[in-house]
Amino acid sequence: MDISSKGDDTPAVVDMTTSEKVVELLNQASLISTDEKLTTLKQVQELIINKDPSLLDNFLDEIIAFQTDKSIEVKKFVIGFIEEACKRDNELLVRLIANLNMLLKDESVNVVKKAILTLTQLYKVTLQWLVRSKTLSEMQEACWDLITQMKGEVLALLDSDNDGVRTHSIKFTESLIITLSPRTPDSDVPKRQEGDISLDKVPKDHTYIHYGTLCEEGKSALEKLLKFMVHPAISSINLTTALGSLATIARQRPMFMSEVVQAYETLHANLPPHWPNLSVEFQGQISTLLLDLGMPQTEITRYTPAPREPRKRPR
Amino acid sequence: MEAHSILSKRGFEVRSFGTGSHVKLPGPAPDKPNVYDFKTTYEQMYNDLVRKDKELYTQNGILHMLDRNKRIKSKPERFQQCKDKFDLVITCEERVYDQVLEDLNSREQETMQPVHVINVDIQDNHEEATLGAFLICELCQCIQHTDDMENEIDELLQEFEDKSNRPFLHTVCFY
Repeated sequence: MDISSKGDDTPAVVDMTTSEKVVELLNQASLISTDEKLTTLKQVQELIINKDPSLLDNFLDEIIAFQTDKSIEVKKFVIGFIEEACKRDNELLVRLIANLNMLLKDESVNVVKKAILTLTQLYKVTLQWLVRSKTLSEMQEACWDLITQMKGEVLALLDSDNDGVRTHSIKFTESLIITLSPRTPDSDVPKRQEGDISLDKVPKDHTYIHYGTLCEEGKSALEKLLKFMVHPAISSINLTTALGSLATIARQRPMFMSEVVQAYETLHANLPPHWPNLSVEFQGQISTLLLDLGMPQTEITRYTPAPREPRKRPR
Repeated sequence: MEAHSILSKRGFEVRSFGTGSHVKLPGPAPDKPNVYDFKTTYEQMYNDLVRKDKELYTQNGILHMLDRNKRIKSKPERFQQCKDKFDLVITCEERVYDQVLEDLNSREQETMQPVHVINVDIQDNHEEATLGAFLICELCQCIQHTDDMENEIDELLQEFEDKSNRPFLHTVCFY
């Protein structure tokens, strides 16, 4: 029964198939303001990713076309959509990774940052998919080559002149180091990441994904992060982020524990010259971390200078 | 809550939270606060205090405050129980700032999406709360008008620090 056909121009929403609904929403989306467009596109995403994923393939190009929209928020939506679509159907990586690559080079830093967050997720997803894939195709190999290239570009963004881009690049580097190193019995793995790929799950005889190369790339990423941290002009936010990343890496990959503790020690002894008072802020954090990492309290005390202004912390 | 009230009137999408294990309101003496759990509605607190000592709680403004609060939302919320993601968290006390950081850092990372946490020290009395709420609102408006918040926030906070003569704390956590 068509309960909404009271007037001629009232759409019979209840009777529409999901596919018809998506068509209508997409038609609306190209004509309306940014805020409404985002709401409409999110509805489409819900319909074709969660409600009826068989439609995903049909409407992919229509949604991806919004990546050239003028609005930053719409572009960010497209990036989020790429992530969800590829997670839902890994085969889509070969089609969508090039779009993500374009968005990674967008002129808006806010788009670039969102693209970095998505690459952080999709790097793991791609590696896992290709390692498990039973077929070999040139398309897949090209996808892996492109994502490897993108990985290099985001690592290079540790040297970006934009603070927020650097922050995002640090988090990407953290995740990359964990992916490209083996999980060991003493790894402290967060529940949510239990199913994630890590180096130990990469076969040593894969045709184009080379275990040895990945292992070296992981180590080299850690070196980059450690080098980044001792840069004398590092911003407070970047340093805090990097310290947190190192703690995460040490917990999940105890094989890097000595490098991490050493980095804390070096930093402690050579705080960036432009923050004379910062030692107080970091003392507490570092002591706690060192204690967590198993350093005896006596040793921490031995390395801790007498407090100067214990109450008010500088920013 | 004063800041919540002003920010939402100006069109910001805002939420407010407590971080303690209970909701504490001033009582008849400093060592006798009125303590409620987070399930208690502002309405229930209001009625409870009216019953206990209407004159005292009218005079010290607590009833007025609860009346304002219940027009914003039905009951207080605890930050640690909220799983929604924010771009910016503003605290009004260093102790609360520390509790927020402790909570955010103890959560498992998932999306790596950053959340900036800023503390502005505001004394817990009516006059300071009003001044502080306007300061927070002005800060949020300035942040909203930046093209690139993460790149400009340090400079912005420096300006606010100088202008308001209050120290700000600022850090970033990740979801």
